[in-house]
Amino acid sequence: MEFRPILSAMLRNKTGVFLVGLQIALTLAVVANAVFIIMQRVEKIGRPPGIDSANLIFAQSYGFGPNYDHRDTVRRDVDMLRAIPGVVAVTALNGIPMSGGGRQSGYTIEPPTPQPNPTTSNIYFVDEHGVDALGVKLIEGRAFTEAEIQYNENPTNSDFAPSVIITQAVAQQMFGDGPALGKPIYDNLGQSAIVIGVIENMLGAWVGFDQPSNVMLQPRLSNGPTIRYAIRTEPGRRDQLVPEVEKKLAESNLNRAVTWVRPHTYWVERSYRADSRMVAFLSVIVSLMVLVTALGIVGLASFHVSVRTKQIGTRRAVGARRIDIIRYFMIENWLLTTGGVALGLVLAFAFGHWLSSTYSLPRLEPLYPVAGVVLLWILGQIAVFVPARRAAAIPPAIATRTV
Amino acid sequence: MFNYYVRLALKSLRRTPVVAALMIGAIALGVGVCITTLTVYRLMSGNPIEHRNDVLRAVTLDNWDPNQPWDDRRPELPPYELTYRDAMALFESDIPSRQVMMRKGPFVVESDPALGVKPFLVEARLTTKDFFSIFDVPFEYGGGWDAAADQGAQRVVVLSKETNDKIFGGQDSVGKNVRLDGKDYNVIGVLAEWTPTPKFYDLNNGSFDGIEEAFVPFNIGQIDQVQPGGNVNCWRTQPLNSFQDFLESDCVWIQYWVELKGRDKVEAYQSFIDSYVQEQKKLGRFERPLNNKLRTPEEWLEINRVVASDNSVLVGLSFMFLAVCLLNMIGLLLAKFLGSAPLVGLRRALGATRQTIFNQHLVEVGVIGIAGGVLGIGLAGLGLLGVRQLYENYDTLTRLDVTMSLTALVIAIASGVLAGLYPTWRVCRVQPAAYLKTQ
Amino acid sequence: MLHMQNISKVFRTELIETHALRDFNLHVKEGEFVAVTGPSGSGKTTFLNIAGLLETFNSGTYQLDGQDVSRLSDDDRSRIRNQKIGFIFQSFNLIPDLDLFDNVDVPLRYRGFNAAERKKRITESLELVGLASRMKHIPAQLSGGQQQRVAIARALAGTPRFLLADEPTGNLDSLMARQVVDLLEDINRRGTTIVMVTHDPELARRAHRNVHVMDGQVTDLQPFAAKPLIRPEAVAAGV
Repeated sequence: MEFRPILSAMLRNKTGVFLVGLQIALTLAVVANAVFIIMQRVEKIGRPPGIDSANLIFAQSYGFGPNYDHRDTVRRDVDMLRAIPGVVAVTALNGIPMSGGGRQSGYTIEPPTPQPNPTTSNIYFVDEHGVDALGVKLIEGRAFTEAEIQYNENPTNSDFAPSVIITQAVAQQMFGDGPALGKPIYDNLGQSAIVIGVIENMLGAWVGFDQPSNVMLQPRLSNGPTIRYAIRTEPGRRDQLVPEVEKKLAESNLNRAVTWVRPHTYWVERSYRADSRMVAFLSVIVSLMVLVTALGIVGLASFHVSVRTKQIGTRRAVGARRIDIIRYFMIENWLLTTGGVALGLVLAFAFGHWLSSTYSLPRLEPLYPVAGVVLLWILGQIAVFVPARRAAAIPPAIATRTV
Repeated sequence: MFNYYVRLALKSLRRTPVVAALMIGAIALGVGVCITTLTVYRLMSGNPIEHRNDVLRAVTLDNWDPNQPWDDRRPELPPYELTYRDAMALFESDIPSRQVMMRKGPFVVESDPALGVKPFLVEARLTTKDFFSIFDVPFEYGGGWDAAADQGAQRVVVLSKETNDKIFGGQDSVGKNVRLDGKDYNVIGVLAEWTPTPKFYDLNNGSFDGIEEAFVPFNIGQIDQVQPGGNVNCWRTQPLNSFQDFLESDCVWIQYWVELKGRDKVEAYQSFIDSYVQEQKKLGRFERPLNNKLRTPEEWLEINRVVASDNSVLVGLSFMFLAVCLLNMIGLLLAKFLGSAPLVGLRRALGATRQTIFNQHLVEVGVIGIAGGVLGIGLAGLGLLGVRQLYENYDTLTRLDVTMSLTALVIAIASGVLAGLYPTWRVCRVQPAAYLKTQ
Repeated sequence: MLHMQNISKVFRTELIETHALRDFNLHVKEGEFVAVTGPSGSGKTTFLNIAGLLETFNSGTYQLDGQDVSRLSDDDRSRIRNQKIGFIFQSFNLIPDLDLFDNVDVPLRYRGFNAAERKKRITESLELVGLASRMKHIPAQLSGGQQQRVAIARALAGTPRFLLADEPTGNLDSLMARQVVDLLEDINRRGTTIVMVTHDPELARRAHRNVHVMDGQVTDLQPFAAKPLIRPEAVAAGV
């Protein structure tokens, strides 16, 4: 409507305009990239774990002394745990999903060649209750049977199980769209196992791993003296069962130490802590930045209003309505913001490019700067509204006042 | 004159309280955020063994897969740890004045039932004797063990302060016994509080975890077949069907440090490990190109990227935030100063020189900077309080110390004055005549 | 053209009431050139503000160009100011950031004329005041007299029926003042009604009729009744 005269008035105050424009540009560059990082982390933290994380308790027992009998201890423990009211299923296993520690190895669909291209997968040794106890969803095939569970007395061994259950992610990577069920896979020593089941999803040990859902269940009892149990409870009974499990395990066998009994969410939180921290830090920086920029706009606009009191009164005297005055400031702000975000878009992509090349973060998606532009437009209009309304309240009679 | 300027500055700030609050608030926020992230960064990037940087070296040998480097993204790096057999071979050398090979392992600790402490699992460090001396480990009671204990795998143990508190209530326990995995060990030393952050001597098994809870002679690990407690990485296709298989394998899991006093020693040791690897190549091992590295603690921290990229990104973003705050302040200050141009014109007419106007406004900027800095320190303190919620176990390390407080003040005043220079310069150029005419 | 009947204006604060105008009556016919005089504090400015619809009043009626403007909304008053009234202020009130063209353009923008129409009117009115060649200058580059002529061009560009001038020569020296008054007379001859507030009797004498305001009331409706008000020193100075 009246861009040109507003623009030419702005250009007479180049420095002030440039400062706020640069501020808006920097804000866009930072906010777009920070929100992009936040969204990625939030998405990562929100990934379904595949297991029934909310109702799972994990416990660790460490046997010691000459009287410790590993197999016997595990058998008694799982029987005892399964008998606790409120417990749905229990499996002995070798590691805790998403805990940051675990076992992984490479597998191929042909016996390994000198230069194999294996599919790397996390491995969990579970018993015949493994699928139930973890709460993973079996979409093809069957769970393990008691007879399949392997055990080798020698703690250092390179055994492979006769049958395995894999996640869809592993099936997809190894067999493409073809069927996985019933097919053999090979470890790096050339030993083979048959795929007897496919589960929908399960996150492995490392949440930051680039193939987090590459997980394989093997029917084995892990060697001592460390053993872990996954105890799946009825919904809502988890917290109440943690102390009970700890007490019963501790009392049942004096040849071992119960290292800890914890809900699975303990590890989930720990593993995502760096990401949660980043989200928290970035959210604070983004909010403060938006706040400071908004206050800067309010401050400068207020200042302009007070400097231009006479001018505004004159405009009112020669026929400007209140809404015309408000509109003047809104348009002025919109022009300023538009200039700022134009520069800001360039800065945002440059900064995004630098971040992705220096810290090997993913490349900034254009959606974020574009959303940032809209945000800053709206923010600017809201911020300028208060001083603009004050400007509109300046009485036209100011114009006849000398000095 | 200075006092007069300060009085003028305060008066000027009081005249426009909102603008003054916005400016001071902007600097304070910018500084507060920067100091918070810098403190975290400094915590993450500290080198706790800086004073021994010139004599300590982490030893790495490249025994990895001929078809694939240890780290795909940085193929020039050898593995971080050594195989057991190579560590044992290097330990024969007498070039280092002191040296240590070590690893982690779990033990269940039992104490005298009379003490009423339930058996509990600890992460122990299995290490040779020089660990305590080359890393300047402080002792509360007793001390480390001697070469004979290393040789004979004597059952002696050094407890961390925490473990000693737990079992013995902080008493001097030297000479007493504890049971580790069912065997009696004689306590020969108790550490004082020691929190190297990051845990430089073993960066691949929880670099920000606390130290191990107990320390025992390295050779006990082999005799009792103590399972490795840290990362084990293997590449060679070889069946491992006994602990002996494992010890002889190409799996890496041993950390190795040497003390080399002087350049000659470093060079001599480098050629020693190189010729060792050349010998091994003849036996069909070490198929990759010769790539043996000795790293100072500082290099070691850098290579292991202890400072997560997240922290660097945060520091970068914080400073961009500070820039935005400063731009904000420059804009407001410029508006404010130019708004008072008629007054400046009057002062000039009454005989003020450009220099005096400059000084007067610079003092005002300085006052804003100091106020912003002081408030910024307060905000940083608040920020770190929040950070402490995010970083469990780092209480002592996320406190705002004198250095950071001073840094905050310096950043605030420097950036405030820097930001104020342009508006100050502009206001100095006010022509006395321009504002004295009736409008 | 302008009919004010029993207009009262009271300024109230918590402590005092000030009657700026009381039972103020004034009638100005179409085509007249009226000067309103009076000492400081007499209510001249209040009259001007009310006449120009810049302020509201407490009681009485005010008809402008046949329309009762006593009880109009703020927006309606803006519209009438914009369409029917042209203002000339003592301190010119040009917008320092805009060049002459854009300054004259200000009321036309609010009027909603299209670009061609605006351009025509701006050029014409700047030509009328003799400043068409300096359209791209900003006010600071002009002398006071020139600035006031720009202000007159701004007032005229919308072809108002009624011109309100507030001490139009108050900030000018005598030569420039004379040029401005000549210009006003010329405008009046073309048919625009002019009401001018001034304390300068010399200037007032150029009007058809003088109205003297004292204590918020019209005291004298005689034309050329300025004689007793001439300050001797002003005469001596040849004003």
